[in-house]
Amino acid sequence: MILIRIALRNLRSHWFKGLIVGGLLSLGSALLVVGLSLLGTIDKSMSKSVVGSVSGNLQVYAKDAKDKLSLFAGMTEGTEFGHIDDFPKVRKTLEAVAGVRAVVPMGTDVAMVYGGNVLDVKLEELRAAEKAKDAAKSKIVRAHVRRMVGLLATDLDRISELRTADNQSDETKKAIADVKRAGSDGFWKEFDADPFAALEFLENKVAPLGLNADMIWFRYIGTDLDRFRAHFELFEVVDGTVVPKGQRGFLFNKLTYEETVKHRTARRFDKMRDRLAEGFSIEGDEDLKQWKKLNKDQIREITYQLDDRTEPLVHTFLLNHLKQTKGTTDALLAQFMEVTDDNFASRYKAFYDGIAPHLMLYSIKVGDVMTIKGFTSSGYPTSVNVKVYGTFRFKSLDKSMMAGGMNLMDLMTYRDLYGYLTADRKEELARLQANTGVKPPERDKAEAELFADAGDEVEEIKPSGEAIAAPSAATDLAGAATQTGGFDEFAKVDMKASAKTYGEDLFSRVYAQGDIDGGVVRNAAVLFQPGVDDRAVQAAVAKAAEGAKLGVQVMDWREASGMVGQFLFVIYAVLAGSLFIIFFTAMVIINNSTVLATMERTREIGALRAIGAQRSYVRKMFLVEAAVSAVLFGALGSALGALVVAWLNGHGIAAFNDVFVFLFAGPRLHPTLSPAYVVIALVVVTVVTVLSTLYPAWLATRVTPLQAMQDAE
Amino acid sequence: MTTAFAQTETPIVKLVGVDKDYHLGSVIVPALRDVSLSIAAGEFTVIAGPSGSGKTTLLNLIGCVDVATRGDVVIDGADTRQLKEKALTDLRLRSLGFIFQSFNLVGVLDAFDNVEFPLLLQGKLNKVERRDRVMGLLQQVGIEQYAHHRPGELSGGQRQRVAIARALVTQPRIVLADEPTANLDSKTGTAILELMQELNRRGTTFLFSTHDPRVVSRAGRVIRLVDGQIADLNASAEDVAALAAGAH
Repeated sequence: MILIRIALRNLRSHWFKGLIVGGLLSLGSALLVVGLSLLGTIDKSMSKSVVGSVSGNLQVYAKDAKDKLSLFAGMTEGTEFGHIDDFPKVRKTLEAVAGVRAVVPMGTDVAMVYGGNVLDVKLEELRAAEKAKDAAKSKIVRAHVRRMVGLLATDLDRISELRTADNQSDETKKAIADVKRAGSDGFWKEFDADPFAALEFLENKVAPLGLNADMIWFRYIGTDLDRFRAHFELFEVVDGTVVPKGQRGFLFNKLTYEETVKHRTARRFDKMRDRLAEGFSIEGDEDLKQWKKLNKDQIREITYQLDDRTEPLVHTFLLNHLKQTKGTTDALLAQFMEVTDDNFASRYKAFYDGIAPHLMLYSIKVGDVMTIKGFTSSGYPTSVNVKVYGTFRFKSLDKSMMAGGMNLMDLMTYRDLYGYLTADRKEELARLQANTGVKPPERDKAEAELFADAGDEVEEIKPSGEAIAAPSAATDLAGAATQTGGFDEFAKVDMKASAKTYGEDLFSRVYAQGDIDGGVVRNAAVLFQPGVDDRAVQAAVAKAAEGAKLGVQVMDWREASGMVGQFLFVIYAVLAGSLFIIFFTAMVIINNSTVLATMERTREIGALRAIGAQRSYVRKMFLVEAAVSAVLFGALGSALGALVVAWLNGHGIAAFNDVFVFLFAGPRLHPTLSPAYVVIALVVVTVVTVLSTLYPAWLATRVTPLQAMQDAE
Repeated sequence: MTTAFAQTETPIVKLVGVDKDYHLGSVIVPALRDVSLSIAAGEFTVIAGPSGSGKTTLLNLIGCVDVATRGDVVIDGADTRQLKEKALTDLRLRSLGFIFQSFNLVGVLDAFDNVEFPLLLQGKLNKVERRDRVMGLLQQVGIEQYAHHRPGELSGGQRQRVAIARALVTQPRIVLADEPTANLDSKTGTAILELMQELNRRGTTFLFSTHDPRVVSRAGRVIRLVDGQIADLNASAEDVAALAAGAH
């Protein structure tokens, strides 16, 4: 007690030193409280983001996987996560563990959709019109195609002007010649004579040169959509509908849909609107400048999509809007794209009122069937048709590309794309086998045999004699029409036509839960019941998996989210760094000032020693003094930190970009205080202070009683 | 000027053939030479001598804050040369009281706390007993009304009274005082001396070092030191007077 009294009084009498040391200690503990609150809240919100959108609380995947599971793995990381062979058993075993709500099968991959090349779309329309002998429709589309070929020729000319003649490769020269030919009157006369030959020329030689040929890449999760919807609580449909229960289908993430499927000019307009709404100005922001420039440079994105009917409409609209009397559509569009902070709002509205209605605003529409190209597990190109039912979002993560980049596909389609036999394919194969007497292909070769080229690649893998029959039989069965010849053209086949035979039956087929569960699954999300002890349930899940010999390994969401999970450690490191600096400074200052105090108090200490105070008592005196000031200023700083946290909780911290939206599980973070943080802050501050007093305290114990005897003078 | 108790009982302090050397670099400076003396309970003894004669060194040895180079120093029956630092500190706490030339009170504590401090170190008495003992002493030294003043708020004489109370509070066998009046004006110094004499009459044994003739003139016994050696173990009144005259 007397020591605490001495400590308090000493503190009061050395108020200036106290102010500096106390200020640092308070700052340190305030920072600790605020930092820990932030991190704790981010950890919670991030867990909400990741757990509720993509990973679940745990992920399980094959024990013998070559690569470590990473849900957000980039293209460069290995993605050989192996397979869970007996998913029904995994599901049954793990769902029996107390605290587990659901086990949802998954597979993550990257797919590619060929979308947005208007020339391709129009050629497809033209082919359909010719086939249907719809002369009126053919005429309109033909004009549009001609227009586009004309624009393409102009663009190619411009490119070739930039190069000297001898600098041009034979390929470039040939391409220019092809486009020129397609633009000539002679060619279109030939078209009348033999439309399909001309179409083939356009499709094979000219279409690939289309400047806005668009490959849309996106990540998707192949999953049991019904279970996903039921258990990932952040899931929410935006446009369209969910995929009907048990059926095949695809849902675009709204953000992916907007970012990659939407007409690029429109998308840039949207982004500019959002950025301007945040208070930026076009001249003052590099992104805004860039988007404006791109819109000006890429007016082809608009003009390619205009045909003889719509082009005059847009032209008139632009003349009126820009209050001009003359000018080409190109020139007017260029002028239109010259936006400023002042006219942006009216241009934005004008774009959507007068121009966008004549454009293909989304290259894939809700309700469309799209052809997804991918690579099977062993690297063969493959493609699958799937119907887009709608778009969805993860609640409050709308703007985060981390969550917004994940699209959803049914598990059956996923298995097709991934190269595994689904139950119905197996069944069909069995039927086929019965009919033809063909032996079933071995499982590990099945995919290659079924999807490999009918030509040279089949020879490379040296299949058995019977197996050569299998793909062609399967092809017939699948009804993949062979207008372009071989099975290698599968991807370019008119899938809409084929969908009528093979596809539509497939699209409306309802799969039983057993079918969905019964095939190969790459990984699975384990979701917990609310309020359980995560660690305990994780341990129980791991134990159950081990006990039942499921052949899977268990990983928590943090690990499964890879880099994203690591992000928290970066913030920890930054916090730890700043705290280190503050506390190191505090330690140096405390050490120095206490050494000085020891020297000042030599006589007093000596006298106490003479009176009979042991060395240990003197040491205790200094340490108690340190602890008292630590607790005092630590409490003060913690209180200050708590106030800051309370204020932040009220106001929220805005997410700077989409990564933070994800980390914050929303556009704003509202940090909350936990008493544990105050305790941690007090403990840390006390330890730091006491540590920095150890040396001066030792010095003080070296003071001898003799030093009290010497005269003050 | 009477010695109240006979000197035949077991002495509280007993020095036999004590030498004390100081080392200044490689030079050995002898401070005390072959000092032998004993002090019995109830004495009011002054160690007198000019500056540099070894008074303070002698007092430090008796006060167990320094150790002899050679010879025996026995305090309250304990041979200090056999004792370790910790035991010496205990001996000081148990048997000795100190009054310092410049008081050496704990500046941030009030008079009461300063006086109570050795009792807290001893940890023998409870709170009420401590308060009674401390207040009784403050009353004896005449500053009970200043119990809750801090040293900074007290005059030199008042501070020395606090220091005396602190030295007496553990009821030590002997109180050592190193030039207790040196930092006081003559009037205050006289009052302090009278207080100590009064306390001596009530049974406290005092040992001073001083060259102040006022202190010497009130001593029951004067030990004279010259050049680190004992010149007289019980100087006569004449010697004392001569000493006093010399000092003036």
